[in-house]
Amino acid sequence: MTVHSFTFSDQPLDLEQLRGSVEDRSCGGYVSFEGWVRDHNDGRQVARLEYEAFEALAVKEGQRIIEEAAYRFGVTQARCVHRIGLLELGQVAVWVGVSTPHRGEAFAACRYIIDEVKHRVPIWKKEYYVDGDSGWVNCERCASAALDSDSHAAHGHHHADHSQDPAVSALARHPQGLVAPDYSRQQILAEVGPLGQSRIRGARVLVIGAGGLGVPVLSYLAGAGVGTLGVMDGDSLDASNLHRQTLYAITDVGRPKALLAADRLRALNPEVDVRPYVEHAALANLAGIAAGYDVIVDCTDNFSAHFVINDVAVTLAKPAVLASVYQYEGQVQVIDTHSACLRCLWPEGARDGTVGNCAEAGVLGPVPGVLGSLQALEVLKVILGIDSPARGAVIIVDLRTLECRRIAARRAADCPAHCAPCAPSPEPETIELALRLPVAGWTVVDVRESAEVAAAPLPGASLHLPLGRLLDDPAQLPEGGRYLCVCARGLRALTAAKALRQNGRVAASLAGGYRLDP
Amino acid sequence: MTSVRIQYYALLREQAGMSRETVQSKSTDAAGLYDELRERHGFTLARSQLRVAIDGEFADWSTALVDGAEVVFIPPVAGG
Repeated sequence: MTVHSFTFSDQPLDLEQLRGSVEDRSCGGYVSFEGWVRDHNDGRQVARLEYEAFEALAVKEGQRIIEEAAYRFGVTQARCVHRIGLLELGQVAVWVGVSTPHRGEAFAACRYIIDEVKHRVPIWKKEYYVDGDSGWVNCERCASAALDSDSHAAHGHHHADHSQDPAVSALARHPQGLVAPDYSRQQILAEVGPLGQSRIRGARVLVIGAGGLGVPVLSYLAGAGVGTLGVMDGDSLDASNLHRQTLYAITDVGRPKALLAADRLRALNPEVDVRPYVEHAALANLAGIAAGYDVIVDCTDNFSAHFVINDVAVTLAKPAVLASVYQYEGQVQVIDTHSACLRCLWPEGARDGTVGNCAEAGVLGPVPGVLGSLQALEVLKVILGIDSPARGAVIIVDLRTLECRRIAARRAADCPAHCAPCAPSPEPETIELALRLPVAGWTVVDVRESAEVAAAPLPGASLHLPLGRLLDDPAQLPEGGRYLCVCARGLRALTAAKALRQNGRVAASLAGGYRLDP
Repeated sequence: MTSVRIQYYALLREQAGMSRETVQSKSTDAAGLYDELRERHGFTLARSQLRVAIDGEFADWSTALVDGAEVVFIPPVAGG
């Protein structure tokens, strides 16, 4: 059983019992921290302490910290118990215990939890001094309360004015939301102003893909004060993402990007309601999620997702800002109820594998950075009602030559998305094969390009027919055969198999593609 | 012969080894022009995998070529 809990206790802590509650056979490391009541503070002799908490709020915030630690560090078991009430010298005031598969994460998570609890959880400490005096101290939340008299009153206790204390001034600059966001630089613009800012604040934007394009979109929209920001991404951070996905750190590798992004965006602007969705966009889940948003931003990196997002946007009549990149180039398109959509423009053949994504074709970090920034700008134009040449057109940006071109696009009369929106087309079947090639009874069709074949030839007999040639005339393969299409990752093969089946052939594709590495 | 200015993007630019060129074409429509250029540059993409734009607007492959037209071949891109 997994324990992720933050609780208060008004009784002395039973450390043995607590330790037992986070024991886990799958864990190789356990780190605990005990905060003790010490006999002095700030030069005064302390006799005992009293802790008081606004429990409803404090438990919620404490629980959030535990969950953050759980996903940031891959913690299996994590628990924090804080005392309230009167404590004597030497007693344990707070206990943190963390179990993880490896020791490094346990140390990091334990440290994270205690530091964040100290900063963020509203707990107040009253010190009783040996000389009979007493006073409330160490209320970190009071630093923010000092900025806001209403919430100050809500503290429900009195304490000496320590706003002149240099330590408190430092706290007021702490990034944990103690400084109010300032949108003055954008509000100066005539197109924004107070009215525009309230529109931005009221906007709900769903960003699908928290990668090279998504990172600048999310950062700028959170910075601008978009009220609700959905972050949808089913992937976890890979070290190869970092050259273009500047929201993340190398220590984040392996964690879900949606959660990481949510964490960073909340730190950037605590006013934004950030909602992470750790899942890939599919027709089954996207329509329900997207219904709660006003604008959809497509920052994904594959055609299947592009088409799903397009179809959902068209069906729900939500404006959508699409972009994609290829090496030094990118395309941006804003679709709304009146303009051409993705399916108006691209034939069925324009599917995955026909042109490479970032992993296959390579990309320099700033390229998605520029295109994502353009998307963020287009989203703000949509929210603010500023017209854009990206509506009803595809903007093609060549960042090698710094040329930008607008290609006007008309809505197609026979567009399947506009005619029968959201009718999920059955995906071609694939054969999951752990088997080694060749496969008995099937003719293996290698649809990779010649250079790829030369670099990594398939073992065994196969027919080499690059995808483009195959699509020219799928009927060139004799009837009666059974064709297993193979490429590096399975996407081009999927397209090939579908084309073959449409021409009456028996065909399948090798799911996941053929890789030489095991 | 029709003189047209061609602009390539993405994979087509790579395979052509150039961003743009001006060609004298004996084709009468955009489809014929692509087939001609595909033969010359060894493009791997089939016509069904891309779009053509003529003078700043997406166009049908059957669109007639006129002297001085600017033709852009656009493969779809998906990266992000």
